[in-house]
Amino acid sequence: MSIIIELKNVCKSFGNTEVLHNIDFSVTEGEVVVVIGPSGSGKSTLIRCINCLEMITSGELIVDGISIPAERKRTRQIRLEVGMVFQSFNLFPHMTALENVAFGPRKARKVGKTKATDIARALLGKVGLADFEDKLPGQLSGGQQQRVAIARALAVNPKVMLFDEPTSALDPEMIGEVLDVMKGIAKDSGMTMVVVTHEMGFAAQVGDRLIFMDDGKIVEEGKPGEVMKNPKSERLKDFLGHVKHH
Amino acid sequence: MDFEFSVIIESLPALLEGAKLTWFITILGIVGGMSIGILAGLGRLAGTESLGEEPQGFFKPLSVLIRYVSGGYVESIRGTPIIVQAMFLYFAFPMLVKAVIDIERFRVEALTAAVITIMVNAGAYIAEIVRGSVISVHKGLLEAGMSLGISRFQLIAHVIGPIAIRRMIPPLGNQFIISLKDTSLFIVIGVGELTRQGQEIMASNFRALEVWLTVAILYLIMTTCLAMTLRYFEKKMKMF
Repeated sequence: MSIIIELKNVCKSFGNTEVLHNIDFSVTEGEVVVVIGPSGSGKSTLIRCINCLEMITSGELIVDGISIPAERKRTRQIRLEVGMVFQSFNLFPHMTALENVAFGPRKARKVGKTKATDIARALLGKVGLADFEDKLPGQLSGGQQQRVAIARALAVNPKVMLFDEPTSALDPEMIGEVLDVMKGIAKDSGMTMVVVTHEMGFAAQVGDRLIFMDDGKIVEEGKPGEVMKNPKSERLKDFLGHVKHH
Repeated sequence: MDFEFSVIIESLPALLEGAKLTWFITILGIVGGMSIGILAGLGRLAGTESLGEEPQGFFKPLSVLIRYVSGGYVESIRGTPIIVQAMFLYFAFPMLVKAVIDIERFRVEALTAAVITIMVNAGAYIAEIVRGSVISVHKGLLEAGMSLGISRFQLIAHVIGPIAIRRMIPPLGNQFIISLKDTSLFIVIGVGELTRQGQEIMASNFRALEVWLTVAILYLIMTTCLAMTLRYFEKKMKMF
Protein backbone atom coordinates (compact mmCIF):
# COMPACT_ATOMS: atom_id res chain seq x y z
CA MET A 1 0.00 0.00 0.00
CA SER A 2 1.37 3.38 -0.96
CA ILE A 3 1.32 6.63 0.91
CA ILE A 4 -1.37 8.99 -0.35
CA ILE A 5 -1.03 11.92 2.07
CA GLU A 6 2.30 13.03 3.42
CA LEU A 7 3.13 15.98 5.65
CA LYS A 8 6.73 16.80 6.48
CA ASN A 9 7.56 19.45 9.03
CA VAL A 10 4.36 21.34 8.25
CA CYS A 11 3.62 24.64 10.01
CA LYS A 12 0.51 26.75 9.65
CA SER A 13 -0.02 30.19 11.14
CA PHE A 14 -2.96 32.55 11.14
CA GLY A 15 -1.27 35.91 11.53
CA ASN A 16 1.01 35.54 14.53
CA THR A 17 -0.77 32.50 15.91
CA GLU A 18 0.86 29.22 15.00
CA VAL A 19 -1.86 26.60 14.73
CA LEU A 20 0.18 23.70 13.38
CA HIS A 21 3.70 23.17 14.64
CA ASN A 22 6.17 20.95 12.74
CA ILE A 23 3.66 18.23 11.88
CA ASP A 24 5.00 14.98 10.44
CA PHE A 25 2.20 12.73 9.40
CA SER A 26 1.30 10.38 6.61
CA VAL A 27 -1.67 8.29 5.55
CA THR A 28 -1.48 5.06 3.58
CA GLU A 29 -4.11 4.06 1.05
CA GLY A 30 -7.07 2.30 2.66
CA GLU A 31 -6.17 3.48 6.13
CA VAL A 32 -8.69 5.02 8.54
CA VAL A 33 -6.99 7.61 10.71
CA VAL A 34 -8.91 9.17 13.58
CA VAL A 35 -7.72 12.52 14.91
CA ILE A 36 -8.75 13.59 18.41
CA GLY A 37 -7.81 16.48 20.61
CA PRO A 38 -9.21 19.45 22.50
CA SER A 39 -10.71 22.34 20.56
CA GLY A 40 -8.08 24.69 19.25
CA SER A 41 -5.52 21.89 19.00
CA GLY A 42 -5.27 22.28 15.21
CA LYS A 43 -6.99 19.07 14.12
CA SER A 44 -9.51 20.80 11.85
CA THR A 45 -6.78 23.00 10.37
CA LEU A 46 -4.76 19.86 9.67
CA ILE A 47 -7.39 18.28 7.48
CA ARG A 48 -8.37 21.59 5.90
CA CYS A 49 -4.76 21.95 4.75
CA ILE A 50 -4.94 18.53 3.10
CA ASN A 51 -7.88 19.78 1.02
CA CYS A 52 -6.21 23.15 0.25
CA LEU A 53 -8.96 25.02 2.08
CA GLU A 54 -6.08 26.40 4.12
CA MET A 55 -2.59 26.90 2.75
CA ILE A 56 0.34 25.64 4.79
CA THR A 57 2.81 28.28 5.90
CA SER A 58 5.91 26.11 5.62
CA GLY A 59 6.97 22.50 5.25
CA GLU A 60 6.02 19.93 2.68
CA LEU A 61 2.57 18.57 1.92
CA ILE A 62 2.04 15.99 -0.80
CA VAL A 63 -1.43 14.71 -1.64
CA ASP A 64 -1.90 12.00 -4.25
CA GLY A 65 1.51 12.79 -5.71
CA ILE A 66 0.86 16.52 -6.01
CA SER A 67 2.92 18.91 -3.94
CA ILE A 68 1.02 21.73 -2.21
CA PRO A 69 0.87 24.70 -2.67
CA ALA A 70 0.09 24.01 -6.30
CA GLU A 71 -1.31 26.10 -9.11
CA ARG A 72 -5.07 26.37 -9.25
CA LYS A 73 -5.66 23.62 -11.80
CA ARG A 74 -3.74 21.11 -9.74
CA THR A 75 -5.44 22.30 -6.56
CA ARG A 76 -8.74 21.39 -8.19
CA GLN A 77 -7.30 18.04 -9.15
CA ILE A 78 -6.40 17.37 -5.51
CA ARG A 79 -9.88 18.34 -4.40
CA LEU A 80 -11.43 15.94 -6.90
CA GLU A 81 -9.50 13.16 -5.20
CA VAL A 82 -10.10 14.37 -1.65
CA GLY A 83 -13.73 14.58 -0.49
CA MET A 84 -14.70 16.60 2.55
CA VAL A 85 -17.55 16.37 5.04
CA PHE A 86 -18.09 19.40 7.26
CA GLN A 87 -19.35 19.81 10.80
CA SER A 88 -22.17 22.07 9.62
CA PHE A 89 -23.13 19.91 6.58
CA ASN A 90 -22.96 22.87 4.18
CA LEU A 91 -25.49 21.43 1.76
CA PHE A 92 -26.49 23.78 -1.05
CA PRO A 93 -29.79 25.13 0.30
CA HIS A 94 -31.33 25.78 -3.12
CA MET A 95 -30.84 22.24 -4.39
CA THR A 96 -32.75 19.07 -3.51
CA ALA A 97 -30.92 16.16 -1.90
CA LEU A 98 -30.57 14.53 -5.31
CA GLU A 99 -29.31 17.73 -6.96
CA ASN A 100 -26.80 18.23 -4.16
CA VAL A 101 -25.33 14.79 -4.74
CA ALA A 102 -25.47 14.97 -8.55
CA PHE A 103 -23.81 18.40 -8.59
CA GLY A 104 -20.22 17.18 -8.16
CA PRO A 105 -20.29 14.50 -10.85
CA ARG A 106 -22.09 16.85 -13.22
CA LYS A 107 -19.92 19.96 -12.81
CA ALA A 108 -16.58 18.72 -11.51
CA ARG A 109 -16.38 15.33 -13.27
CA LYS A 110 -18.37 16.51 -16.33
CA VAL A 111 -20.58 13.44 -16.31
CA GLY A 112 -23.83 13.57 -18.33
CA LYS A 113 -27.05 14.52 -16.56
CA THR A 114 -28.66 11.07 -16.64
CA LYS A 115 -25.52 9.35 -15.46
CA ALA A 116 -24.98 11.92 -12.69
CA THR A 117 -28.54 11.37 -11.51
CA ASP A 118 -27.99 7.61 -11.50
CA ILE A 119 -24.81 8.02 -9.43
CA ALA A 120 -26.66 10.32 -7.03
CA ARG A 121 -29.64 7.95 -6.67
CA ALA A 122 -27.37 5.01 -5.94
CA LEU A 123 -25.47 6.96 -3.29
CA LEU A 124 -28.60 8.32 -1.64
CA GLY A 125 -29.78 4.71 -1.45
CA LYS A 126 -26.49 3.72 0.11
CA VAL A 127 -26.84 6.29 2.88
CA GLY A 128 -30.47 5.22 3.42
CA LEU A 129 -32.16 8.28 1.95
CA ALA A 130 -33.64 6.95 -1.29
CA ASP A 131 -37.08 8.29 -0.32
CA PHE A 132 -35.81 11.81 0.35
CA GLU A 133 -34.28 12.75 -2.99
CA ASP A 134 -36.72 15.59 -3.68
CA LYS A 135 -36.38 17.21 -0.27
CA LEU A 136 -34.53 20.47 0.21
CA PRO A 137 -31.86 20.48 2.92
CA GLY A 138 -34.10 22.67 5.09
CA GLN A 139 -36.71 19.89 5.12
CA LEU A 140 -34.27 17.26 6.41
CA SER A 141 -33.07 16.53 9.94
CA GLY A 142 -29.44 17.15 10.87
CA GLY A 143 -28.56 13.47 10.60
CA GLN A 144 -30.22 13.20 7.20
CA GLN A 145 -28.45 16.33 5.98
CA GLN A 146 -25.09 14.98 7.04
CA ARG A 147 -25.78 11.70 5.25
CA VAL A 148 -26.63 13.63 2.08
CA ALA A 149 -23.38 15.58 2.55
CA ILE A 150 -21.44 12.32 2.79
CA ALA A 151 -23.13 11.07 -0.39
CA ARG A 152 -22.30 14.39 -2.10
CA ALA A 153 -18.61 14.05 -1.22
CA LEU A 154 -18.53 10.41 -2.34
CA ALA A 155 -20.23 11.22 -5.63
CA VAL A 156 -17.10 12.63 -7.28
CA ASN A 157 -15.43 9.30 -6.53
CA PRO A 158 -12.55 10.57 -4.38
CA LYS A 159 -9.61 8.49 -3.20
CA VAL A 160 -9.64 10.03 0.26
CA MET A 161 -12.46 11.26 2.49
CA LEU A 162 -11.90 13.88 5.17
CA PHE A 163 -14.43 14.27 7.98
CA ASP A 164 -14.29 17.44 10.06
CA GLU A 165 -16.22 16.65 13.27
CA PRO A 166 -19.13 15.21 11.27
CA THR A 167 -21.32 14.47 14.30
CA SER A 168 -20.53 17.44 16.54
CA ALA A 169 -23.50 19.50 15.37
CA LEU A 170 -25.98 16.66 15.68
CA ASP A 171 -28.53 15.74 18.34
CA PRO A 172 -27.43 12.61 20.23
CA GLU A 173 -30.05 10.35 18.64
CA MET A 174 -28.82 11.21 15.15
CA ILE A 175 -25.13 10.57 15.74
CA GLY A 176 -25.55 6.82 15.35
CA GLU A 177 -27.05 6.94 11.86
CA VAL A 178 -24.17 9.08 10.56
CA LEU A 179 -21.49 6.95 12.23
CA ASP A 180 -23.10 3.82 10.75
CA VAL A 181 -22.82 5.29 7.25
CA MET A 182 -19.17 6.17 7.90
CA LYS A 183 -18.45 2.67 9.21
CA GLY A 184 -20.06 1.26 6.07
CA ILE A 185 -17.79 3.35 3.84
CA ALA A 186 -14.69 2.27 5.74
CA LYS A 187 -15.59 -1.42 5.80
CA ASP A 188 -17.22 -1.94 2.40
CA SER A 189 -15.23 0.23 0.07
CA GLY A 190 -11.92 0.30 1.94
CA MET A 191 -11.89 4.09 1.58
CA THR A 192 -8.94 6.05 2.91
CA MET A 193 -10.38 8.25 5.65
CA VAL A 194 -9.12 10.94 7.98
CA VAL A 195 -11.73 11.59 10.65
CA VAL A 196 -11.64 14.38 13.21
CA THR A 197 -14.09 13.37 15.92
CA HIS A 198 -14.81 13.00 19.61
CA GLU A 199 -16.57 9.67 19.10
CA MET A 200 -14.21 7.28 20.89
CA GLY A 201 -16.38 4.26 20.18
CA PHE A 202 -16.10 4.93 16.46
CA ALA A 203 -12.35 5.43 16.78
CA ALA A 204 -11.91 2.11 18.56
CA GLN A 205 -14.15 0.19 16.19
CA VAL A 206 -13.16 1.58 12.79
CA GLY A 207 -9.87 3.39 13.22
CA ASP A 208 -6.62 1.82 12.12
CA ARG A 209 -4.68 4.55 13.81
CA LEU A 210 -5.47 7.17 16.43
CA ILE A 211 -3.75 10.53 16.59
CA PHE A 212 -3.98 12.80 19.60
CA MET A 213 -3.23 16.45 18.91
CA ASP A 214 -2.72 19.23 21.38
CA ASP A 215 -1.48 22.76 20.90
CA GLY A 216 -0.71 22.27 17.21
CA LYS A 217 1.40 19.14 17.73
CA ILE A 218 0.86 15.42 17.41
CA VAL A 219 1.28 14.26 20.99
CA GLU A 220 0.44 10.55 20.73
CA GLU A 221 -0.14 8.13 17.92
CA GLY A 222 -0.89 4.42 17.65
CA LYS A 223 -3.53 1.68 17.51
CA PRO A 224 -6.76 3.20 18.84
CA GLY A 225 -7.36 0.48 21.46
CA GLU A 226 -3.83 0.72 22.85
CA VAL A 227 -3.63 4.49 22.87
CA MET A 228 -6.96 4.75 24.66
CA LYS A 229 -6.16 2.03 27.17
CA ASN A 230 -2.63 3.15 28.00
CA PRO A 231 -2.32 6.89 27.39
CA LYS A 232 1.25 7.96 28.00
CA SER A 233 0.93 11.71 28.33
CA GLU A 234 -0.91 13.52 31.09
CA ARG A 235 -2.73 15.61 28.51
CA LEU A 236 -4.22 12.60 26.77
CA LYS A 237 -5.22 11.04 30.11
CA ASP A 238 -6.91 14.26 31.05
CA PHE A 239 -8.60 14.54 27.65
CA LEU A 240 -9.86 10.94 27.66
CA GLY A 241 -11.25 11.48 31.15
CA HIS A 242 -13.29 14.41 29.90
CA VAL A 243 -14.52 12.65 26.76
CA LYS A 244 -15.67 9.57 28.67
CA HIS A 245 -17.69 11.60 31.11
CA HIS A 246 -19.81 13.09 28.36
CA MET B 1 -63.63 73.49 -1.45
CA ASP B 2 -64.58 72.67 -4.98
CA PHE B 3 -63.32 69.51 -6.60
CA GLU B 4 -63.93 69.13 -10.33
CA PHE B 5 -63.73 65.69 -11.81
CA SER B 6 -63.79 67.17 -15.27
CA VAL B 7 -60.35 68.68 -14.60
CA ILE B 8 -58.95 65.21 -14.05
CA ILE B 9 -60.58 63.89 -17.22
CA GLU B 10 -59.25 66.82 -19.22
CA SER B 11 -55.70 66.56 -17.95
CA LEU B 12 -55.51 62.78 -18.03
CA PRO B 13 -54.27 62.35 -21.64
CA ALA B 14 -51.32 64.65 -21.05
CA LEU B 15 -50.58 63.07 -17.69
CA LEU B 16 -50.69 59.59 -19.20
CA GLU B 17 -48.21 60.73 -21.84
CA GLY B 18 -45.98 61.83 -18.98
CA ALA B 19 -46.50 58.56 -17.15
CA LYS B 20 -45.51 56.67 -20.30
CA LEU B 21 -42.26 58.60 -20.45
CA THR B 22 -41.63 58.05 -16.73
CA TRP B 23 -42.16 54.32 -17.24
CA PHE B 24 -39.87 54.30 -20.27
CA ILE B 25 -37.02 56.05 -18.42
CA THR B 26 -37.48 53.77 -15.42
CA ILE B 27 -37.44 50.49 -17.33
CA LEU B 28 -34.38 51.43 -19.38
CA GLY B 29 -32.76 52.76 -16.22
CA ILE B 30 -33.43 49.56 -14.29
CA VAL B 31 -32.17 47.31 -17.08
CA GLY B 32 -29.00 49.37 -17.49
CA GLY B 33 -28.64 49.84 -13.75
CA MET B 34 -28.84 46.09 -13.15
CA SER B 35 -26.12 45.43 -15.74
CA ILE B 36 -23.84 48.10 -14.32
CA GLY B 37 -24.72 47.12 -10.74
CA ILE B 38 -23.91 43.44 -11.16
CA LEU B 39 -20.57 44.27 -12.81
CA ALA B 40 -19.61 46.88 -10.23
CA GLY B 41 -20.90 44.82 -7.30
CA LEU B 42 -18.88 41.78 -8.35
CA GLY B 43 -16.04 44.14 -9.25
CA ARG B 44 -15.85 45.38 -5.68
CA LEU B 45 -15.44 41.76 -4.61
CA ALA B 46 -12.89 40.83 -7.29
CA GLY B 47 -10.14 38.73 -5.83
CA THR B 48 -11.70 38.47 -2.38
CA GLU B 49 -12.66 35.29 -0.56
CA SER B 50 -16.33 36.03 -1.10
CA LEU B 51 -15.94 34.88 -4.71
CA GLY B 52 -13.89 31.80 -3.93
CA GLU B 53 -10.15 31.81 -3.60
CA GLU B 54 -7.75 34.68 -3.83
CA PRO B 55 -6.26 35.10 -7.30
CA GLN B 56 -2.76 34.11 -8.24
CA GLY B 57 -0.11 35.76 -10.41
CA PHE B 58 -1.22 38.35 -12.93
CA PHE B 59 -4.80 38.38 -11.68
CA LYS B 60 -3.82 39.69 -8.29
CA PRO B 61 -2.92 43.29 -9.30
CA LEU B 62 -5.75 43.19 -11.87
CA SER B 63 -8.30 42.37 -9.20
CA VAL B 64 -7.02 45.23 -7.03
CA LEU B 65 -7.49 47.64 -9.94
CA ILE B 66 -11.01 46.36 -10.59
CA ARG B 67 -11.86 46.76 -6.90
CA TYR B 68 -10.64 50.36 -6.85
CA VAL B 69 -12.44 51.35 -10.07
CA SER B 70 -15.72 49.79 -8.92
CA GLY B 71 -15.36 51.28 -5.46
CA GLY B 72 -14.62 54.73 -6.84
CA TYR B 73 -17.68 54.58 -9.06
CA VAL B 74 -20.01 53.48 -6.28
CA GLU B 75 -18.74 56.00 -3.75
CA SER B 76 -18.78 58.98 -6.10
CA ILE B 77 -22.32 58.27 -7.30
CA ARG B 78 -23.69 57.53 -3.84
CA GLY B 79 -21.99 60.62 -2.53
CA THR B 80 -23.60 63.13 -4.88
CA PRO B 81 -27.31 64.02 -5.36
CA ILE B 82 -28.96 62.58 -8.44
CA ILE B 83 -30.21 66.03 -9.43
CA VAL B 84 -26.59 67.26 -9.55
CA GLN B 85 -25.66 64.23 -11.65
CA ALA B 86 -28.46 65.00 -14.12
CA MET B 87 -27.48 68.68 -14.33
CA PHE B 88 -23.86 67.74 -14.77
CA LEU B 89 -24.59 65.33 -17.59
CA TYR B 90 -27.01 67.68 -19.34
CA PHE B 91 -25.34 71.08 -18.90
CA ALA B 92 -21.74 70.57 -17.81
CA PHE B 93 -20.68 67.44 -19.65
CA PRO B 94 -21.19 68.93 -23.17
CA MET B 95 -19.05 71.92 -22.19
CA LEU B 96 -16.39 69.63 -20.89
CA VAL B 97 -16.41 67.69 -24.15
CA LYS B 98 -16.23 70.87 -26.19
CA ALA B 99 -13.30 72.08 -24.13
CA VAL B 100 -11.38 68.87 -24.45
CA ILE B 101 -12.05 67.95 -28.05
CA ASP B 102 -12.85 70.82 -30.39
CA ILE B 103 -16.35 70.01 -31.59
CA GLU B 104 -18.74 72.65 -32.91
CA ARG B 105 -21.99 71.36 -31.60
CA PHE B 106 -22.18 68.71 -28.95
CA ARG B 107 -25.16 68.27 -26.72
CA VAL B 108 -26.82 65.53 -24.74
CA GLU B 109 -30.54 65.16 -25.37
CA ALA B 110 -32.59 65.68 -22.21
CA LEU B 111 -34.16 62.22 -22.46
CA THR B 112 -30.78 60.58 -23.05
CA ALA B 113 -29.37 62.41 -20.06
CA ALA B 114 -32.31 61.24 -17.96
CA VAL B 115 -31.96 57.59 -18.94
CA ILE B 116 -28.19 57.56 -18.44
CA THR B 117 -28.48 59.30 -15.09
CA ILE B 118 -30.95 56.72 -13.79
CA MET B 119 -28.80 53.86 -15.12
CA VAL B 120 -25.61 55.15 -13.56
CA ASN B 121 -27.28 56.20 -10.32
CA ALA B 122 -29.27 52.99 -9.80
CA GLY B 123 -26.18 51.00 -10.85
CA ALA B 124 -24.22 52.29 -7.88
CA TYR B 125 -26.90 51.34 -5.36
CA ILE B 126 -27.55 48.01 -7.05
CA ALA B 127 -23.80 47.31 -6.88
CA GLU B 128 -24.03 47.55 -3.11
CA ILE B 129 -27.10 45.30 -3.07
CA VAL B 130 -25.22 42.73 -5.16
CA ARG B 131 -22.13 42.99 -2.96
CA GLY B 132 -24.16 42.68 0.22
CA SER B 133 -26.01 39.61 -1.03
CA VAL B 134 -22.85 37.89 -2.21
CA ILE B 135 -20.95 38.41 1.03
CA SER B 136 -23.96 37.13 2.96
CA VAL B 137 -23.59 33.68 1.35
CA HIS B 138 -22.26 31.37 4.05
CA LYS B 139 -18.54 30.68 3.65
CA GLY B 140 -19.11 27.00 4.36
CA LEU B 141 -21.11 26.69 1.15
CA LEU B 142 -18.18 28.07 -0.86
CA GLU B 143 -15.89 25.59 0.84
CA ALA B 144 -18.31 22.76 0.11
CA GLY B 145 -18.32 23.75 -3.55
CA MET B 146 -14.55 24.15 -3.74
CA SER B 147 -13.97 20.83 -2.00
CA LEU B 148 -15.87 19.13 -4.83
CA GLY B 149 -13.25 20.43 -7.24
CA ILE B 150 -15.43 22.81 -9.26
CA SER B 151 -14.01 25.93 -10.93
CA ARG B 152 -14.42 29.46 -9.61
CA PHE B 153 -16.79 30.25 -12.47
CA GLN B 154 -18.96 27.24 -11.63
CA LEU B 155 -18.89 28.25 -7.98
CA ILE B 156 -20.20 31.71 -8.82
CA ALA B 157 -22.74 30.47 -11.38
CA HIS B 158 -24.21 27.55 -9.46
CA VAL B 159 -23.64 28.21 -5.76
CA ILE B 160 -23.04 31.88 -4.95
CA GLY B 161 -25.27 33.31 -7.70
CA PRO B 162 -28.52 31.43 -7.07
CA ILE B 163 -28.31 31.96 -3.31
CA ALA B 164 -27.37 35.65 -3.59
CA ILE B 165 -30.09 36.43 -6.15
CA ARG B 166 -32.82 35.32 -3.74
CA ARG B 167 -31.48 37.70 -1.13
CA MET B 168 -31.24 40.57 -3.60
CA ILE B 169 -34.93 40.70 -4.46
CA PRO B 170 -36.33 42.67 -1.49
CA PRO B 171 -33.67 45.42 -1.58
CA LEU B 172 -33.89 45.52 -5.38
CA GLY B 173 -37.61 46.21 -5.09
CA ASN B 174 -36.73 49.16 -2.91
CA GLN B 175 -34.21 50.48 -5.41
CA PHE B 176 -36.49 50.07 -8.43
CA ILE B 177 -39.21 52.10 -6.72
CA ILE B 178 -36.72 54.76 -5.67
CA SER B 179 -35.44 54.98 -9.25
CA LEU B 180 -38.95 55.36 -10.61
CA LYS B 181 -39.66 58.21 -8.24
CA ASP B 182 -36.26 59.78 -8.98
CA THR B 183 -37.36 60.32 -12.59
CA SER B 184 -39.55 63.15 -11.26
CA LEU B 185 -36.36 65.14 -10.68
CA PHE B 186 -35.75 65.34 -14.43
CA ILE B 187 -38.26 68.16 -14.41
CA VAL B 188 -35.14 70.35 -14.00
CA ILE B 189 -33.70 69.37 -17.37
CA GLY B 190 -37.03 69.65 -19.15
CA VAL B 191 -37.95 66.01 -19.68
CA GLY B 192 -41.71 65.76 -20.18
CA GLU B 193 -42.23 63.02 -17.61
CA LEU B 194 -45.20 62.79 -15.30
CA THR B 195 -44.24 65.44 -12.75
CA ARG B 196 -43.36 67.92 -15.47
CA GLN B 197 -46.69 67.32 -17.21
CA GLY B 198 -48.47 67.89 -13.92
CA GLN B 199 -46.54 71.10 -13.36
CA GLU B 200 -47.41 72.40 -16.81
CA ILE B 201 -51.12 71.63 -16.51
CA MET B 202 -51.16 73.19 -13.08
CA ALA B 203 -49.54 76.33 -14.40
CA SER B 204 -52.28 76.75 -16.97
CA ASN B 205 -55.40 75.92 -14.93
CA PHE B 206 -54.28 76.40 -11.31
CA ARG B 207 -56.16 73.25 -10.22
CA ALA B 208 -53.47 72.02 -7.83
CA LEU B 209 -55.64 69.55 -5.90
CA GLU B 210 -57.00 67.63 -8.89
CA VAL B 211 -53.75 67.64 -10.83
CA TRP B 212 -51.38 66.58 -8.04
CA LEU B 213 -53.82 64.01 -6.73
CA THR B 214 -53.96 62.43 -10.18
CA VAL B 215 -50.19 62.60 -10.53
CA ALA B 216 -49.75 60.93 -7.14
CA ILE B 217 -52.20 58.15 -8.02
CA LEU B 218 -50.43 57.50 -11.33
CA TYR B 219 -47.10 57.17 -9.52
CA LEU B 220 -48.70 54.84 -7.00
CA ILE B 221 -50.05 52.62 -9.77
CA MET B 222 -46.61 52.36 -11.38
CA THR B 223 -44.75 51.66 -8.14
CA THR B 224 -47.35 49.04 -7.24
CA CYS B 225 -46.73 47.33 -10.58
CA LEU B 226 -43.00 47.20 -9.82
CA ALA B 227 -43.58 45.90 -6.31
CA MET B 228 -45.96 43.20 -7.52
CA THR B 229 -43.55 42.05 -10.23
CA LEU B 230 -40.80 41.59 -7.64
CA ARG B 231 -43.18 39.86 -5.26
CA TYR B 232 -44.00 37.45 -8.06
CA PHE B 233 -40.33 36.59 -8.56
CA GLU B 234 -39.81 36.28 -4.83
CA LYS B 235 -42.59 33.70 -4.63
CA LYS B 236 -41.52 31.90 -7.76
CA MET B 237 -38.04 31.22 -6.46
CA LYS B 238 -38.60 28.66 -3.78
CA MET B 239 -37.33 30.11 -0.56
CA PHE B 240 -35.46 28.14 2.00
